[in-house]
Amino acid sequence: MTIPHRPMSLTVNGKPVGPIDVPNDMMMLDFLHDYLNLTGSRFGCGQGICHACTIILDDPVEGAVEMRTCVTGAHFFAEKRVRTIEGHATRDAKGDILQLTPVQQAFIEHFAFQCGYCTPGFVTGTQVLIERLRKTPIARADVEKTIEQALAPHICRCTGYVRYYEAIRAVILSTPGLVSG
Amino acid sequence: MRLSRRMRLGLLAVGLVCVIGAAGVLAVLFGVFQPSVVSDAVNQPLTPAEMAQLVPRGRYLTLAADCAACHTAPGGAPYAGGLGFALPVGTLYATNISPDPTYGIGQWSRADFQHAMRDGIGPGHSYLFPAMPYVSYRQMSEGDVDAVYAYLMTRQPIHQASPRDSFPLPYMRLGMAFWNLINLPSRGFVTDAALSPTINRGRYLVDALGHCGECHTPRDISMGMIPGRYLQGATIEGVDAPDITPAGLARLGFDAPTLAQFMRAGLGPQGVTTFSMYEVIEHSTRYLTPADAEAMADYLMQGAPPPVVVTVGAVTPGTEHGRQSYVAVCAGCHGLNGVGVPHVAPAMRTNATLRLPSDRNLMRIMSDGLPAQSFPDGEAMQPMPGFAHLLTHQELVDLAAYLRSTWGGHPPH
Repeated sequence: MTIPHRPMSLTVNGKPVGPIDVPNDMMMLDFLHDYLNLTGSRFGCGQGICHACTIILDDPVEGAVEMRTCVTGAHFFAEKRVRTIEGHATRDAKGDILQLTPVQQAFIEHFAFQCGYCTPGFVTGTQVLIERLRKTPIARADVEKTIEQALAPHICRCTGYVRYYEAIRAVILSTPGLVSG
Repeated sequence: MRLSRRMRLGLLAVGLVCVIGAAGVLAVLFGVFQPSVVSDAVNQPLTPAEMAQLVPRGRYLTLAADCAACHTAPGGAPYAGGLGFALPVGTLYATNISPDPTYGIGQWSRADFQHAMRDGIGPGHSYLFPAMPYVSYRQMSEGDVDAVYAYLMTRQPIHQASPRDSFPLPYMRLGMAFWNLINLPSRGFVTDAALSPTINRGRYLVDALGHCGECHTPRDISMGMIPGRYLQGATIEGVDAPDITPAGLARLGFDAPTLAQFMRAGLGPQGVTTFSMYEVIEHSTRYLTPADAEAMADYLMQGAPPPVVVTVGAVTPGTEHGRQSYVAVCAGCHGLNGVGVPHVAPAMRTNATLRLPSDRNLMRIMSDGLPAQSFPDGEAMQPMPGFAHLLTHQELVDLAAYLRSTWGGHPPH
């Protein structure tokens, strides 16, 4: 007996993938890990709570949307564009990293992560927040509250929230156009 | 100008009709035609000793009557009111029923409280709006209302005014005199000698304290509950309060023992309570004694057919698209075969929401999601995200059709 499967195509980190046969009920995280060898997105709780597995869905209408890949089927992403943690930094033709994003750089400079397991999720969540603020800036007084609301679903078992949030605040305040007033 | 005798008589008759009419209106406004169910005995205040003795019973009854659902605003002080009800004509706010003398009921006498609860008339002959379920509380016994009064008077007085309603007309309260004329039953609770004491107790809990009919009985054009369609289900706040007649409950998969358990636990094989019913569990029915919950269930399930068992429907070409969406965004938590994950997401296989006649509640939940819920005994369910921004309306419709035909017992469309 074969596992029911069907072909799918999608765009991952700007590159077309597929058509490729994927089991109908395979979760996106397994597809990224096992089919594309993109192992940066983490399997944490496996039930959509910890957000270590989030990637970015670039929706033509909604813009960047966080998606939990441990509870979302691979076929949901058929014909869609996604960015995984591997796709944030700028790379050269060989795939080596040339430059980290401001978010990644700030996390390093603020010693934001400890064990690092939740970091791909935090980078993803912060990137989505930054892109949202680029479209709809917020008042300076609302920065802290906005960070807490946007990143609240991301769980860090080392409880390193303070330095994560400090790093995110630094990125927001040092990036032109995200804060008004 | 001389009027003929016939014209004079005619004018006199018109005048007389006007006077009688005006007298009638005044009589209605002063409640002449509205019989009170409150006895004169309540004019005698309770002694401090009597009040103190009633408090424990009052506490239980206040929970069973779910006073907090409306009179405690989310995050607000207990019984200080403030919860708003957006109605087509404006917003009405629940009042402060803490014993504060200025803003609460601290100055209310025993009789004032009895008349408010059971006649819908507050101190100073001020008509209550029927958002306060006095039509149901009218069936409460005098002793039970006394006990609630005694309990509320022991609560912390909260010195906080309730917001005033935003109704455009100042005299709308007077109109309630006429509403009462049409919709207020003349009598309180009458024990049915043909039924067992347990069933009578259940009926009292359902009709008087639990005021289940306020949401589950459809209302007519005057917004009064339609007696002939008792508990047959209604649409309220944009969602369906299900049919909870015996046949309706059996269709949702309940029998009396599981219903009693469900009312105290807030969840079961039938899924989790949603929308306002979650708050009913949270504030009220979870505190019922097992005997009372069983009495309510026994009454509600009287003569019910056995619980309907739904056979799993096959995926058809018409539901294949919905199945794909289910696998894509639902199965991660609810399971490929709809069995759910304990403490995470409820099972779909036996979920009552899928069995409802309409897909209104299902569509609303799939679109907007549900907040995290906690239940008695440490049970909890994770928040469910909404999918309105990820799935198109047609995809949501197809998904609902798949769920309803696979596990809800509905024919595929």
